[in-house]
Amino acid sequence: MSDADTPHDDASHDHADHEHHGHEGPGYSTPQAAIEESEPETVAYVMGLYTGTDVDAPDFVAVVDVDPASDTYCEIIDRVEMPNRGDELHHFGWNACSSSCHVEGLERRHLVVPGVRSSRLHVVDTKNRRNPEIVKVIEPEEVFEHDLSTPHTVHCIPDGEILISMLGDADGDLPGGFLLLNDDFEVTGRWDPPGEIGMNYDYWYQPRHDVMISSEWAAPKTFLPGFDLEDVEAGKYGRKLNVWNWSEREVVQTLDLGEEGHIPLEVRFLHSPESTHAYVGAALSSNVFHVYERDGEWRADKAIDVESREHEDWEMPVPGLVTDLLVSMDDRYLFFSNWLHGDVRMYDVSDPANPRLADQLWAGGHFGPRHPIDGERAVVGGPQMLQLSLDGTRLYWTTSLFSSWDAQFYPEEGELGSVMLKADVDPRKGTMSLDPDFLVDFGDLPDGPARAHEIRWPDGDCTSDVWL
Amino acid sequence: MSGSDAERFTVDLRWRSGREERIAVDADETVLDAADAADVALPFGCRTGACGTCTGQVVAGELAHRRPPRALKGRHLDAGYALLCIAEPRADSEVEVGTDVAADLVSNPWK
Repeated sequence: MSDADTPHDDASHDHADHEHHGHEGPGYSTPQAAIEESEPETVAYVMGLYTGTDVDAPDFVAVVDVDPASDTYCEIIDRVEMPNRGDELHHFGWNACSSSCHVEGLERRHLVVPGVRSSRLHVVDTKNRRNPEIVKVIEPEEVFEHDLSTPHTVHCIPDGEILISMLGDADGDLPGGFLLLNDDFEVTGRWDPPGEIGMNYDYWYQPRHDVMISSEWAAPKTFLPGFDLEDVEAGKYGRKLNVWNWSEREVVQTLDLGEEGHIPLEVRFLHSPESTHAYVGAALSSNVFHVYERDGEWRADKAIDVESREHEDWEMPVPGLVTDLLVSMDDRYLFFSNWLHGDVRMYDVSDPANPRLADQLWAGGHFGPRHPIDGERAVVGGPQMLQLSLDGTRLYWTTSLFSSWDAQFYPEEGELGSVMLKADVDPRKGTMSLDPDFLVDFGDLPDGPARAHEIRWPDGDCTSDVWL
Repeated sequence: MSGSDAERFTVDLRWRSGREERIAVDADETVLDAADAADVALPFGCRTGACGTCTGQVVAGELAHRRPPRALKGRHLDAGYALLCIAEPRADSEVEVGTDVAADLVSNPWK
């Protein structure tokens, strides 16, 4: 079961080999190698879900055909159904990425797929890329034994272990923490000493600088039922970043983002292992923070401020809600989504402290076109989870945030199902344009309309690969 | 359905779509488990009382939570909302169910 046991002829781990069979190893020797050596993606794995609807079916990993030369282009060609209903598949991750580039025989082959509501963990084998299968299920009780629940971000860490951010304790209360799996996908325990943090959400580690940064959503019992502004006023939502000493597993600094930093969600370091720059999206405040190290101290400055907008049907100005962001593999562009407004933005970050808006594209949401592609179905939710091709020329996104939050802000998202859309990106000119020939309809499935969330590529992507 | 000697109650489940199902639920059994056993699909998520996905609203009768209903606030409990994953019957009851009910818990705060 361990990928490390799989016979592999690359035992000497000669990086030059990647040029010849780049998709058999666990990653790429450098971010630039990922750009040069990767082939265009042909399938995407996308979280599909029925949790929070009356459709009597389990959530699934959708295999989406993204090969323009294929007869089934833009179709969901397979659905890996979970064994239970009610998981709420959300984020997921690989058993190995470029951070395990030194581990002989390890393959990027297994997806660890948590249920954020159920606290159940699934392991999906993608040996057959177009027809993956579930090979292991870790039941919630085994997770609760470590007084953790609500699994979120999955990163592989060097040497084949898998680290999962956990947003709460076994009761769905605080504190959260981190759960560790070994390379046989067995729970080995808690990664962090209990008490280091309260709230938890996403994290990214940058091993060359021995640092990890984690963000804060709220206690599961607070955010799972839906968004209540009273909870923000009562301080029940996060606004801090925890800076960890990666090897010692302890928080060495806490950065309070203040009134402009409510609900910091996704954390994205630049990909260069030398970089000490990261971006964090404060979703509720709709600001992007630049996080960086200076004189041995980590700092966070607001770098992008998305202004709320008046809407004729709303009493209060509508915040953008920066729910996802990513950095291109060449570290030149930052993309982020304003889920409530309905736009995705592209910033030049060649000067990391001073992002420059390069382009912006509208599709769905409360201000974008309801039919961004003429003659195609309506798009309800704004751009949400993003994924970029390794070469930086194709940006994809889905439109669901979270079942209970969708129900508040886009009630139609559950009724009509999500879509997956794509923009063609010109990284030389800094432009994006919506691809009118690409729409994946999660509304048209045998069991009924489904939501769609995170997207991953079989050969690594801009939101999972880390370099030592 | 259950081998226990616990008292058994009738729980009528009503969806806003008009659908109705009647199930028997033991006093030491949750409404969700009893519905599962009767092949009646109700929404659920965490099964620990933290997420609110299984929220129903008690229209008549009485349900009691077997562990703290963390997903519900005082105003929800006052209005008769209950978490069916941890709620046991204390009387014959009538409960409004379906995902629409959970959506009542919060609304769009800016609209």
